[in-house]
Amino acid sequence: MIKIPRLLQAVLVVAFIYVAFIVVFDVVLGQVIPASLLTMYMFFVIAGVFMVFTFTEESARELAAPIKALVEDPRKKAIRNVVFAALPLAAAAFTYYNMLPSYQAPVELRSIHPAPPSTVKAFGKRYDLSTLENPFRKYEKEDPEKFEQLVKEGGNIYVGNCQYCHGDKLDGKGPFAQGLNPIPLNFQDIGTIAQLQESFLFWRIATGGPGLPEEATPWLSSMPVWQNFLTEDEIWKVILYLYDYTGHRPRSWAQAHE
Amino acid sequence: MSRTYLKMELFHYFKMASGMKVLIVFFMLMSMGVLAPVAAQTGDAEAGAEVYARRCTWCHGEYGDALTDAAERLNPPPRDFTFAQYKIKSTAFDNYFPNDDDLFRMIRDGMPGTAMPGWADVLSDREIRNLVAYIKTFAGLEEEEPGPSMDYGKQIASSAESIEQGKRLFHEDERCVECHGREGKGDAVKGLKDDVGFRTWPRNLTKPWAFRASNDPKDIFTRISTGIPGTQMPAFADPASDKKLTIEERWHVANYVNSLAKTQEVVKPENTVVKAEKVDGDVPDTVDDPRWERTESSTFFLVSQIVGEERFFTPSNDTITARALYSDVDIAILLEWDDRTKSIPGDETAEKISDPEIAEDGVAIQLPVKIPEGTEKPYFGMGDATYPVNVWHWQSGTTDEPQSVSLMNAKGFADIERRDAEKSAISAHGIYRNGTWRVLVKRPLSAADKEKDIELIEGKAIPIAFAAWDGSNSEKGSRHTMTTWYWILLKPGVGARPIISAAFAGFLVFGVLLWWQRTASTKRA
Repeated sequence: MIKIPRLLQAVLVVAFIYVAFIVVFDVVLGQVIPASLLTMYMFFVIAGVFMVFTFTEESARELAAPIKALVEDPRKKAIRNVVFAALPLAAAAFTYYNMLPSYQAPVELRSIHPAPPSTVKAFGKRYDLSTLENPFRKYEKEDPEKFEQLVKEGGNIYVGNCQYCHGDKLDGKGPFAQGLNPIPLNFQDIGTIAQLQESFLFWRIATGGPGLPEEATPWLSSMPVWQNFLTEDEIWKVILYLYDYTGHRPRSWAQAHE
Repeated sequence: MSRTYLKMELFHYFKMASGMKVLIVFFMLMSMGVLAPVAAQTGDAEAGAEVYARRCTWCHGEYGDALTDAAERLNPPPRDFTFAQYKIKSTAFDNYFPNDDDLFRMIRDGMPGTAMPGWADVLSDREIRNLVAYIKTFAGLEEEEPGPSMDYGKQIASSAESIEQGKRLFHEDERCVECHGREGKGDAVKGLKDDVGFRTWPRNLTKPWAFRASNDPKDIFTRISTGIPGTQMPAFADPASDKKLTIEERWHVANYVNSLAKTQEVVKPENTVVKAEKVDGDVPDTVDDPRWERTESSTFFLVSQIVGEERFFTPSNDTITARALYSDVDIAILLEWDDRTKSIPGDETAEKISDPEIAEDGVAIQLPVKIPEGTEKPYFGMGDATYPVNVWHWQSGTTDEPQSVSLMNAKGFADIERRDAEKSAISAHGIYRNGTWRVLVKRPLSAADKEKDIELIEGKAIPIAFAAWDGSNSEKGSRHTMTTWYWILLKPGVGARPIISAAFAGFLVFGVLLWWQRTASTKRA
C-alpha cells in the first residue's frame, strides 16, 4: 500500500472539508456561505488539523519532514528552485491585487428595529408610546362583528397604499420592493411585527422613514410619512389588518408580565 | 358551507345585480348538493370561496368584478373574472376560455410585471385548485368543458437559422413590428386599448422579466398562437388572419423573440455603483460616441414616487441604465431607458398615442451638494434642511420649445430653489430611437458655485439617484419614477503604489526563503 506523506494527508483533509462546505451549503442546500464566514470556518479547520497532525513530537517531525527536506536536501534542488521562484511571485501578486483601488460601494450599517423614543409627535399631538394603545383592539372581544369590519377597512387601506412595497402577501415583496434599499419589511416573518407593540407600529407608520433615529439611516428608508396621507384611525385599522392577516399577536405589557 | 361564507353571501345578496343573484343562487344550490357537483379533481369551489374571501377580494372584489379601491391605483388593473378573459391561455385559438391548468398557473406563479404575486408559497396545490373552481363561477364557467389544448406540433429548437427565420417573419409586412417596434421594445405607433377600454401596452420583448408567463419559447409560442384575449394581440394560429403563421413559423418567431432578451442592461442587485472611467482628452459629446460601447454600465430599477405629495402609482418606465466617463475637466453621464413613447407636446402623432394631457419626457440626476464625509446622506427624496441636493433635470421639449436642462437646489419637496443650469455649465442632450431614450448630461468636475454646486472628486463614492418621466403616461411634476440612493465613483488611476508594494513583498519572501536555506545548509556543514 502506498503511504501518503503526512503533509499531503493534512492538505487533503483541509481540502476535503473545504469542498464539503461548498458542496453541502452552496450546491445541496442552495444557501451560499458568505466568503467572510467561510474564511473564519477554514481558519478553525486548519488550526484543528494542524493540532491533530502535530499531537506527538514524532508526528510533528513527520509533518515537517517534506518541508525540511525541500530546504535542506541537496537532491531536491530542482523543485526547490521552482518553489523559491513561485512563492515570492505569489506574495507579490497577492499584494498587488489587494492594493488596487476598490470600486465597491461603502458599507452602510443600519439598525432595522431601532429603540423607539418614549414620546412621538404626530398629527400635531404628542403620544406617549409606553401607554399608547390601539383604540380598536378592544372590539376584538367586545364586538367581533365590528372588529371584522374594521379589519376589512384596514385591508382596503393596506392594498391601496402599502402593498406596492410590502406585498399582497405581507411578505415584503410587493411590485416596487425590488427597487428599494433598504428592502420593505416582511410582516410574515416572526422577527418583525410579532415582536412589537402596536404603539411601535403606529410610530413607524405615522412618521415613516424620516422619523427614524439616526442609527436607522432615516435618509435611506423609502417608508412614506403616513400622517401626510392617512388619518390616525386609518393607521390603527391597518395595524389591525397586519396582525389579523399574518396571524401574529401584538406584544403587550400584560403579556410581558405573564 | 362555512358560516363566514354564508354570512358574507347573505350580507351582500340584496345589494347585488340580478345576474349575479342568479349566479349566486345557482352556486349555493350546487354547493348544497342540489345540483351535481363538479368533477372532484377540478377542485371544490366552496372551499375556494373561503380562500378567495381572505386572499383575493382586496383587488378582485367580492363579486370578482375588480371594482375595488385598489384597482384604481394598479396598472395593469386586476382581472375582472366575470368576463372570463385571461392572458394565459393554452387552449386552441378558437376556444374562448383557458383550461384549469392555465388558471392554476396564473395563481401559482403570479403575473410578473403586475401586482399579482405567485401564491405557491402560501397556498397548497389543493387550495389553488379550489380557487380555480371558485373563480370560474364568477362567469358561470363551472359547467364548461375544458377546451382542447392547442397543437404544438414538434418544437423547433433555437438555432441561428431558426432565429433568422423568426426575425424575417417578425418584420415581414410589419407583422409584429407594427406594435412591438423594430427592435421589439413595444414602442407603439398607436394607442391600444383592451376590450374594456383600459389602456394596454405591447410588451417590450427585450425585457423578459415582465413577460406575464415567461420567455421560454414554448410560452411565447402559446401567446403567438392564441393571442392575448381581450387585447389587440391577435391569434396567429387563426387561419382566417392575413398574418397567420404555420406551427413551424410560430416556433421560429418564438425563438427569435426569446433571443431579444437583454443581457447587458439588466439589473444586477449587487451592482450599486456607476463606475466612471477616466479618458484621455475630452469626454464624449454625443450619445453615439463609440467610447460608450466600451464603458461599463449599471442598471437600476425605477420605482414610483410615493413619498411626496402628489403620489404616483401607475408607472411605465421600469429601469434606467447609467454610464459615465470623466476627463481632467469634465464628467459625462449617459442615461438610457426604454420608453415606448416619444412624448412631445404639440406633436400630433405623439398626442394621439398619449394619455390625455401629454407632458414632456424627462430624466433627472440627484447629487448631494456636499459629498458626505460620514454615513449621513441627504434624504433620498430631494434632500432635507440639513443636507441639500442638486437636481439636474433634462426635458424632451415640445414642438415649440427645444430640449432643455434645468438645475434645482432642493432641501426637501417643498423647499426648491430654481437656478440657472447654464451658469453652472450643465448641458444635456437626448436622442430617441426605437423605443429608447439616450440622454447625455455633462458638467465640469469643479463647482461653478462652491456653496451651491457639488464638487466632483476622483476616488470618492458619491451618492447619486435618478428620476424619469414618461409624459405620455401622465407623468409630470411629482408624478414620476425614481431610484433610491446609489453611488457614482470617478475611478481613480491605479498609480505606482500597488506595483511597488508587490515588488517589496516579493523580495521580502524571497529573502526569507534564501536566508532559511542558507542557515540550514550551514548547520549541516
